[in-house]
Amino acid sequence: MNTAENQSERQQYLTFRLGEEIFAVDVTQVREILDLIPITRVPQMPEFMLGVINLRGSVVPVINLRRKFRMEQVENTRESCIIVLEIQLEGEQLVIGALADSVQEVLELGEEQIEPAPRIGTRLNTEFIRGMGKKEDDFLIILDIDRVFSSDELARVQDVGELAEEG
Amino acid sequence: MKRIMTVDDSATVRQMVGFTLKDAGYEVVEAEDGVDALEKLKKTPVHMLITDLNMPRLDGVGLIREVRKDPANRFIPIIMLTTESQESKKLEGKQAGASGWIVKPFKPEQLLGVVKMVLV
Amino acid sequence: MSDPVRDAFREESAELLLDLENGLLELAESQDDDEIIGRIFRILHTIKGSGGMAGFEDVSAFAHEIEAIFEEVRNGHLEVSRELLNQTLAARDLLKAMIDDEGESSLRQEEARQLTEALRTFFPQTNETAISAEVSDDVVESREETTERLYRIRFRLAPDIFCKGVNPLYLIRELKQLGRCRVIAQVDEIPTLQEFDAEQCYVCWDLILLTSAGLNAIRDVFIFVEDDCELQIDELSFDDDEDPNRLGEILVERGDLSSDDLQAVLSERHKIGELLVEKNLVSSSSVDSALVEQEEVRLQQKRNSAGTSSIRVRSEKLDLLVDLIGELVTVQARLSQNVAGQTESELCNISEEVERLTWALRDQVLNIRMLPIGTTFSKFKRLVHDLSQELGKSVQLVTDGAETELDKTVIDRLHDPLVHLIRNCIDHGLESPQQRQTAGKPSMGTVHLSAIHAGAYVIIKVEDDGIGLDAEALREKGIAMGLIPANSELGDKELFSLILQPGFSTAKSVTSVSGRGVGMDVVRQEVESLRGTIEIESREGAGTCFSIKLPLTLAIIDGLLVNIGGDNFVMPLSAVEECIELDHRTVEKAHGRNLVHVRGEIVPYVRLRDFFEIHGPLPELEQVVIVEVEGERVGFAVDYVVGEHQTVIKALGKLYRHLQGISGATILGDGTVALILDLAGLSKLAEREEKELSA
Repeated sequence: MNTAENQSERQQYLTFRLGEEIFAVDVTQVREILDLIPITRVPQMPEFMLGVINLRGSVVPVINLRRKFRMEQVENTRESCIIVLEIQLEGEQLVIGALADSVQEVLELGEEQIEPAPRIGTRLNTEFIRGMGKKEDDFLIILDIDRVFSSDELARVQDVGELAEEG
Repeated sequence: MKRIMTVDDSATVRQMVGFTLKDAGYEVVEAEDGVDALEKLKKTPVHMLITDLNMPRLDGVGLIREVRKDPANRFIPIIMLTTESQESKKLEGKQAGASGWIVKPFKPEQLLGVVKMVLV
Repeated sequence: MSDPVRDAFREESAELLLDLENGLLELAESQDDDEIIGRIFRILHTIKGSGGMAGFEDVSAFAHEIEAIFEEVRNGHLEVSRELLNQTLAARDLLKAMIDDEGESSLRQEEARQLTEALRTFFPQTNETAISAEVSDDVVESREETTERLYRIRFRLAPDIFCKGVNPLYLIRELKQLGRCRVIAQVDEIPTLQEFDAEQCYVCWDLILLTSAGLNAIRDVFIFVEDDCELQIDELSFDDDEDPNRLGEILVERGDLSSDDLQAVLSERHKIGELLVEKNLVSSSSVDSALVEQEEVRLQQKRNSAGTSSIRVRSEKLDLLVDLIGELVTVQARLSQNVAGQTESELCNISEEVERLTWALRDQVLNIRMLPIGTTFSKFKRLVHDLSQELGKSVQLVTDGAETELDKTVIDRLHDPLVHLIRNCIDHGLESPQQRQTAGKPSMGTVHLSAIHAGAYVIIKVEDDGIGLDAEALREKGIAMGLIPANSELGDKELFSLILQPGFSTAKSVTSVSGRGVGMDVVRQEVESLRGTIEIESREGAGTCFSIKLPLTLAIIDGLLVNIGGDNFVMPLSAVEECIELDHRTVEKAHGRNLVHVRGEIVPYVRLRDFFEIHGPLPELEQVVIVEVEGERVGFAVDYVVGEHQTVIKALGKLYRHLQGISGATILGDGTVALILDLAGLSKLAEREEKELSA
């Protein structure tokens, strides 16, 4: 009984790698993981919006997280993959893909293993970070993936879009 | 405008028929009995005749026979006003050349229905 | 708890009430049209009758009151007036509420009582008592007679019938009033002119009558002549599963022909009618008459079966079906593409078969979703009527092309924009009756609503004959609002389209009807979201015309697949006129300006490679696809044209909602995504860009 109670407080996270850093997202938001498939670029969009893919008949946008987090760009490898996520945006559910260098594993973390995001020491906008997890010697950056695509962020996307329109 | 003659010795019936037809847009000529009717017909040709059967001087059947003799009136519709008990009179009238009949008492709309039916 | 009889009545009455509304509105336009009055009377009569049968006593009683009034109208006792029509429309709405069971029943009763009183004031005084006395038996009578039956009526009048003042025409006219009637005169007995007696009746008649009035009503027509007439009335069956009688059988049944003669002729195997006439067995008018009967029976059978074989389907199911078809089309494209490289002929055959079936399926499914736009049109009649009352303007709505078919979704989403445009026409477009008379126009204004097919598009027009738009006033306002530069030289069309801008309104006064300048931009947005365009034409003093051009369907289009630097794009094929080659010398010759010669005409073109900032190897020879966009020819330069493509339209989703120049995406045979170009949007964007560069 005791263990069951403990587990109910624990959550599962999918971890993936961008460069040297390990990120984690709530596994309930992950729909599936795809091998890299051709992405169709959509013109006039900001660079971190990579384009769209065909996910069994649906057109799904793919985001380049490296660009989004202003990390340096690298060539895709055989390990590169697209994590398909379900996010909430202005009360609507949206399916998007996120390009990752490689997917690591699914692990469980208890609340006690998560610390609040540091105010400094990360290049990331701390708004995107739900907390920091620790696994063995590695730090995990747990993302608040809805925030990454929050309306503020999208407003910026629109601005860029409008700038592009005006050329 | 179509002109209709109504023949009846009862002023009430004449008036009721007259009102109804005038309201419906017909011109109405009234006659008190068969003789009066024949005289008026000489001066005023009509498109249709509505006649009572029981009348003094010349009754309805007699009037119909006379009217049909005049080539000008051979084909005009003639409607008899009858009562339920006048079955035999009705047949007589038909043989004399009546086009149809209305059983008294009748409602204005019944009268109009018949008039509209026969007055093509 | 649901009662099938009540439900059936609800359904039936919904249609009847719609017809009633339309009838009343038509009557407002032509106040002495007996046909319309008759129709209204019949509708009320049916509601009264079947309402009583279904247990809607209140509905039945109230319908009777309205019917009584229209009986007067039908009999010519009462003139149709505007007040009468308004009261009747109100009564119609109350009937609907009663049937739909809306609102508090005690309130409805009170309302019904008041309306009844109001209606009774229309009665000509002399008839009042007669009518109220008639109530009860009339209701009973109508209960028995609601189903339509088909009758064959043959009558031959006595030759001297004219001498009884009987005109056969009145008999026929009476019968025609009972229902749908076909009349065939048998003229074989008319003698030659020498023997002809003008006072004799030689003709006899066959009638095929479809009526709900019943046998007694038919017999009543002949009441005055029954002694002077051979009359035969037979009911004809038109059951679904029964074949209509063959011509020969009809003639035998009618007694025109003996069955032996029929058998003899049948054995010769020719066209029976011709043969019978040839052999002098029957007259040709008998044959014609029998043929009419056969035709009518067939028609009724068809109507019957049409009634039973249609089913109602939730529109979500259709949406799902369209989605599935979309995927099937995509998968089929992949199959074809994969098979193309194969040599195995059996596989190729199967693939071709699948392709054929898919396309047939696609057309059928899209076709199911197509509905005539007329149902929407008829709703607007009421709108126009109500608005003209409210605004004190006299307006008639004329509609054309109600049968034009359009995707259901499009029709649904078009409703609000059309309401807005019509309101706008009546409120701002049309002048008051006095103003119109001063201007030498008929005091009644006209709003003309029309729909017409044009290729893969439907064009819907809302047109008024009002004051029109003042281009100069629009220009001033546009400059004042900063929408256009002060020195701009815009054509009238561009100036007119300013009223589609948010917050732009030239109406001087604000009315409850058209709001405050909001709305026209919403109309434009909605039309554009349907991948349509809106154009305005106007002549000052003569009127304004809004044309909405919409694609027939939203789901699947024929596309032209093009490639630029490895990226695929789809253009709607319906806009494409031709493709020409563009070599680099032509580009140089044009001194950097993007113009091509197309058979003597100079056409501007947009180089999509530059416009979309696509890099990658440049081909030797580029191609320009010439398209027609909003009446003008524009070219789009691409690397090469791949070919035609069945394009299942997919939304790009929320993240791309502000994207311009691209209307959606589709999935290609190889599973990758191609973007669908919004050609009109692109050409506008390019034009703006060029102006900004040159400015």
